[in-house]
Amino acid sequence: MTKRCTILFGLEIVLIFILIMVNMNTGSTDVSLPEVFSILISGGKGDVSSTIILDIRMPRMIAAFVLGGALALSGYLLQSFFHNPIAGPYVLGISSGAKLVVALLMVAAVKYGMVLSSVSMIIAALAGSFLATAFVIMVAKRVHNMSILIVCGVMIGYICSAVTELVVSFASDSNIVNLHTWSLGSFSSISWSQVHTFIPVVIVGLLASVLLSKRIEAFLYGEQYAISLGINVRVFRVILIGVSSLLSATVTAFAGPISFVGIAVPHIIRSTYKTSKPLVIMLASFLGGGAFCLFCDLLARYLFAPTELSISTITAIFGAPIVISLMIKRKRG
Amino acid sequence: MEIRTSGLSVGYHKTPLISDICLSVKQGEIVALIGPNGAGKSTILKTLSGMLEPIDGEIYIDDREIRSIPRNQRAKWISVMMTGRHETEYTTCYEVVSVGRYQFTGIMGTLNAKDHRAICEALELVGAYELRDRDFNKISDGQKQRVLLARALVQEPTILILDEPTSFLDIGYKIEFVETLKKLVKEKQIGVLLSMHELELVRNIADRVICINDHGQVDCIGPVCEVFQTDYIEKLFHMAPGSFQRIYSDINPKKEKAQTIKKSVNSKTRFLMVQGTMSSAGKSLVAAGLCRIFKQDGYRVVPFKSQNMALNSYITEDGLEMGRAQVMQAEAAGVKPSVYMNPILLKPTDDCGSQVIVNGKVIGNMPAREYFQYKTKLIPDILQAVERLEEEADIIVIEGAGSPAEINLKQNDIVNMGMAKLVDAPVVLVGDIDRGGVFAQLLGTLELLEPDERARVKGLIINKFRGDKTILDPGIRMLEERGDIPVAGVIPYMNLHLEDEDSLTERFMRRARGELDICIVRLPHISNFTDFDIFEQIPEVALNYIRSADEIQEADLLILPGSKNTLSDMKWLKESGMETAILKYAAKGKPIIGICGGYQMMGERICDPYGVESGGEIAGLGLLPMETVMEEKKHRRQVQGQIGEVKGLFSGLSGLSYEGYEIHMGVTKPLEKQNLMEFTQEQTGYAMGNLYGTYIHGFFDSQRILQEVVRGIADAKGTNLNLDEVINYRDLKEREYDKLADTMRKHMNIQGIYGMMGLDYDEAGTVTSKN
Repeated sequence: MTKRCTILFGLEIVLIFILIMVNMNTGSTDVSLPEVFSILISGGKGDVSSTIILDIRMPRMIAAFVLGGALALSGYLLQSFFHNPIAGPYVLGISSGAKLVVALLMVAAVKYGMVLSSVSMIIAALAGSFLATAFVIMVAKRVHNMSILIVCGVMIGYICSAVTELVVSFASDSNIVNLHTWSLGSFSSISWSQVHTFIPVVIVGLLASVLLSKRIEAFLYGEQYAISLGINVRVFRVILIGVSSLLSATVTAFAGPISFVGIAVPHIIRSTYKTSKPLVIMLASFLGGGAFCLFCDLLARYLFAPTELSISTITAIFGAPIVISLMIKRKRG
Repeated sequence: MEIRTSGLSVGYHKTPLISDICLSVKQGEIVALIGPNGAGKSTILKTLSGMLEPIDGEIYIDDREIRSIPRNQRAKWISVMMTGRHETEYTTCYEVVSVGRYQFTGIMGTLNAKDHRAICEALELVGAYELRDRDFNKISDGQKQRVLLARALVQEPTILILDEPTSFLDIGYKIEFVETLKKLVKEKQIGVLLSMHELELVRNIADRVICINDHGQVDCIGPVCEVFQTDYIEKLFHMAPGSFQRIYSDINPKKEKAQTIKKSVNSKTRFLMVQGTMSSAGKSLVAAGLCRIFKQDGYRVVPFKSQNMALNSYITEDGLEMGRAQVMQAEAAGVKPSVYMNPILLKPTDDCGSQVIVNGKVIGNMPAREYFQYKTKLIPDILQAVERLEEEADIIVIEGAGSPAEINLKQNDIVNMGMAKLVDAPVVLVGDIDRGGVFAQLLGTLELLEPDERARVKGLIINKFRGDKTILDPGIRMLEERGDIPVAGVIPYMNLHLEDEDSLTERFMRRARGELDICIVRLPHISNFTDFDIFEQIPEVALNYIRSADEIQEADLLILPGSKNTLSDMKWLKESGMETAILKYAAKGKPIIGICGGYQMMGERICDPYGVESGGEIAGLGLLPMETVMEEKKHRRQVQGQIGEVKGLFSGLSGLSYEGYEIHMGVTKPLEKQNLMEFTQEQTGYAMGNLYGTYIHGFFDSQRILQEVVRGIADAKGTNLNLDEVINYRDLKEREYDKLADTMRKHMNIQGIYGMMGLDYDEAGTVTSKN
């Protein structure tokens, strides 16, 4: 690894640490940093401040970091799959597909009085992701123009969102209120039990990606070259898309669809690290995605407090311009 | 180690591009694939390196079938460098090369000391070591090429496959590259299979050469010195004789024979060329008339036209395609049509492109601009065709195309004056007085010709004259004076039932009313419309080509003709409102006959899964429960058979025998057979009620079928026609050719025509005309 990469990795970790501190400290109730540390060390005394720190802010932060990282990683895998830096789970409509199926499941659960486990949410999101991904791949086989593919993705996103909205509006049960916040994308109301569910899933995804890194590098030079190196490209592509879907589906299951992280973060990482070694990019993107979501979540909570913005509002403000600049840069679409 | 193929077919989507490839490459030798662009060299290389599945046949590495060898094992033996480029970002040349170590590194792809050493060695070997830290995207193409070669070498292969490795290199690097490769082969005992366009380099490095021609065949395999004969290379790459040597020195210096582009004239065969001042000036008919006259005088005559542009092709007995005009002329000359009479056929596919057919075989689609550049490569094909014809002809009557004075297209001309020069033929120039301005046409054309071209013109012909010739005479005198070329004849306007050539015929414009109206839908891509000319011999029948929906309802018989692009024409039917009108017409129980493309349109739908035409799927008229699927294979053959038991207006057709030919891409299958009657045999046509469809072109050409069809519609209308005089198409045409010849004899200076060819009429006149 080059010196540049080492320094940047160090910077990322410092940044994450600072963001964690600020996140702990900021919110509707002010808890000073020394207080935060004492609560963390003592493990909480059962008062209001400790509950806020331990049961609300901690899981939320972990979610923002881990899920943000997963999203960035998922985006990078999709970009490798399509050989195109503008691919991402949100713009290709994959997140929205996951959202739709999860929403349907939630509404059904409310209607029949079932309690949903986190695992079933992930499975539903995965099913939605696969449906949307299958559609996108089908389109990609017919048209070889990335812009058209993205327009298709955005359209799928709209369709899925529209249906989700419809479902949400008709299911006017009080339990569904959360669903609305969720369907716009939010890290609020993440519980410890959910954290325990998604962390293993994301770790599996991360490990799988790391193990794929050698193949991804060969695949960067084109499908046919990869074949000539002896890679079973068909199997490789299935695994690649599978891991990517698993990661983005997990994010969607817990935090709803979050826009542009998957494109913006790998892009920033590539252009600052100035390398395209998949292993470096993947790890750095994971950290970067975590940092980015911590930062955006902070803004979402803080900017118009006590009103909380949806996380996608913030990520879009930073992410969409990057997508546009990328599209302009790659004139050939 | 040796890589070897046996009966290998390669291509895309299960369609073989090249078949029956048997080649082998051993360690320590360099084998080169050569051949024109698009012949499929890369496809072979891709298949050998595992990027494409073989379509047929086997590939062996040391007698092990390649499919039984694990992928990673194969990758250790064979490394590949293809032409395609992948853009990289933030990647150094060193990193690019390091990917080649794929099979040597562990699961995380970490490079160890040995890998680093191998990478440095490879970079040094290709002279790219200094580039190692440069961004791969920011180096020149030549440098990239060397880095990619290093990437292939770092795999430590036994067999190296290179696709045009020298294409982007300047001459210095080319030579360096070749030297490097030779060194590698010698030192490391690598076997190399490469494709290359630089024949000088091939001669220098290759031990053996494999030549691929553009008809999808391995043309020749052998040692370089045997294969590299100038004339063979010129043939392989479709170069004009001599053109290779002009640029490159003769690749085989032993052989010294300066060939000029002009053909050596066979003293026995005479040529006469008919050129026109414009399209439809009547060249084809004049040429046909001349063919018949010479035939009557006892000569063996064949017609010729180097290049035809027509939608309407004819299928010879061998299943090859050629222009119809030469078929008609061949009939006039009393010989069998052969593709050599029309070596190049262009069928327009859209406004600016054509399907190019050489010696009866489709060689591909080409935009007009590209063809304009390409066509000189076809000169050897033209000359070869002429040579074949010479063997069995005393006189070859050559027809020009369009006008010889299209000054923008004169360069590279191979149809008009260019053709005349190739065979040193005298020219008669035909002007069309019917469209007016005949003097300007003739003199203007002469004016625009180069002096040597003008000297070729030995006579002028005024064609399609109506009225009193004495009024024309002063004009003719002045024409002869100013043009300094004699007028060889004034041919009167003739109404002949002979086939027309171009889509630009007056037929389409004509609106006639007869006792019986037969309407043919004039599809935008209409083809083979001469199928219906036979009806014109019946005076009571009016044949109209219609374009608008409101013309349909008056018709007594509606014909949907063949189409060059069925899907797009079907779309036109829908958009123009024609579809509704046709359905309304059919609902009244009136008869419809669909031929070929028209037949396909009568079905429920037409699918084009392989993108043969425009791709996709379109609903048909739904008149017959059939479905058509376009296939990549073209069906073309001559057929004969018996019409099945049919009902409806044309039940009289049942059991009659037909003769004709098929030419189409699609396969039409019935969706349900309940109400369908077999119309023509072998699934070529079905009928239901008064709706009839068949793939057979030339279906109406038999006397009996024609009589029954016309009788059918006449009975339905309650008119009584005398159809006894209707004759077979063949007899009809014979009569017409004689009529044409007689008229031309009467109005032309035939002696002068013979004089142009250096023949003495008196001598010829001893064979008197049969009439």
